[in-house]
Amino acid sequence: MSEMKKIKNLKEFSTSADRFEGANLLCPGCAHSIIVREILNATNDPLILSASTGCLEVCTAVYPYTSWDVSWIHIGFENSSTAIAGAEAMYKTLKRKGRLPASCEGKSPKFVAFGGDGSTYDIGFQWISGCFERGHDMMYVCLDNEVYANTGGQRSSSTPIGASTTTSPAGRISYGEKKQKKDMIQIMAAHGSPYVAQVAPNKWKDMVKKIQKGFATEGPVFINAMSACTTEWKFAPDDTIAISDLATDSLVFPLYEIENGTKLTITYRPKNKIPVRDYLGAQGRFKHLFRPEYEYLIDEWQKRVDEHWEYLQRREEAGV
Amino acid sequence: MKYLGWDELLPGAILFSFDKEMEKDACEVLPEERPYAETNSHEAYVGDWRVLKPVYNRDLCIDCQFCWIYCPDVSIISRDKKMIGIDYDHCKGCGICVEVCPTNPKSLLMFEERIENEKALAQWPEKE
Repeated sequence: MSEMKKIKNLKEFSTSADRFEGANLLCPGCAHSIIVREILNATNDPLILSASTGCLEVCTAVYPYTSWDVSWIHIGFENSSTAIAGAEAMYKTLKRKGRLPASCEGKSPKFVAFGGDGSTYDIGFQWISGCFERGHDMMYVCLDNEVYANTGGQRSSSTPIGASTTTSPAGRISYGEKKQKKDMIQIMAAHGSPYVAQVAPNKWKDMVKKIQKGFATEGPVFINAMSACTTEWKFAPDDTIAISDLATDSLVFPLYEIENGTKLTITYRPKNKIPVRDYLGAQGRFKHLFRPEYEYLIDEWQKRVDEHWEYLQRREEAGV
Repeated sequence: MKYLGWDELLPGAILFSFDKEMEKDACEVLPEERPYAETNSHEAYVGDWRVLKPVYNRDLCIDCQFCWIYCPDVSIISRDKKMIGIDYDHCKGCGICVEVCPTNPKSLLMFEERIENEKALAQWPEKE
């Protein structure tokens, strides 16, 4: 294995030469590209990437342009995971047979699949599950913006309760999405994956540390990256980082990791825990919750977040 | 640029990022030294998306690099741990760099597209 890139501080990190290009067609203020840049810059190893259909894919490979300076493939909505697993299996076989070209000598390429929450939580779930069961040496990154943003904002199984989307609109008789968000981290940890983590782009140091740990781990790694969506969460494009801060500090998105399916570690504890109300109030998709008839949902939100945080802390203490 | 039909492209619609194969991996080559192909989006222009543009004030900058890490469009140019400017060809004017700037007054501010950078620097606000 090649040496891990040393990143002590942000100044040192800023000497990285980006392998992701601008003039992609992602919305101004999109968190997807912030996450992608942080992941790609976390290593100096050659990268082999794939992307599921979704915002990231359609916006970075618009004919006649590509925004990737590394090997990158797109096949379908569901199979970014299997595409990269196939590439990884082929690389391993060629290596075993000694048929790799000389230019590959002494290098340890990293295999990363990107998918949105639609392709991870819903459409591609079976494929990801298969990859993790077979134990490929790869990383799967879910860019979790809690909605099918690419096709106009339909609900996905990652959409949290109370969010207004185009297929679960809030109005006189409905408060929006009725189902709770699926806990993908626990599901992937239950596959026995050696490393599963939740990250957020605003905590770049935590993110880079986890990505590097994921790259150093042999076996399938799952990363759930919170990606604030300025278009579908309905906030101003310049607030992406502020909204992400609200999400991590209100513990709606707690940052933690699970090793070998069991050992849970919380990696970020906010100094000042802020109420969930502030997080909800900053986004247009939760605007209706502040009407008197739906106000009880905010208290339920707070209770659920507190309970989940309590659960995570108990599990960390118990080490199981 | 000549647009090719779907049946003229290499099977699988392969696009190349660089005109010739580089000896090193792209992460070891600075953008100004890369042989970008015309099919690389680095050669494209999205500056016309902007309503407001960020203007950079070197005198106030402390090179914390927050703008570099949080820029979604790779438009903050940093070399040798120093911030040197903004890539107006790729900046979409989202304003994240201004929001995350920690100095007082901010060393990045949004101005209207028509205002020239020199004039913007002349009307920079005082410390609050």
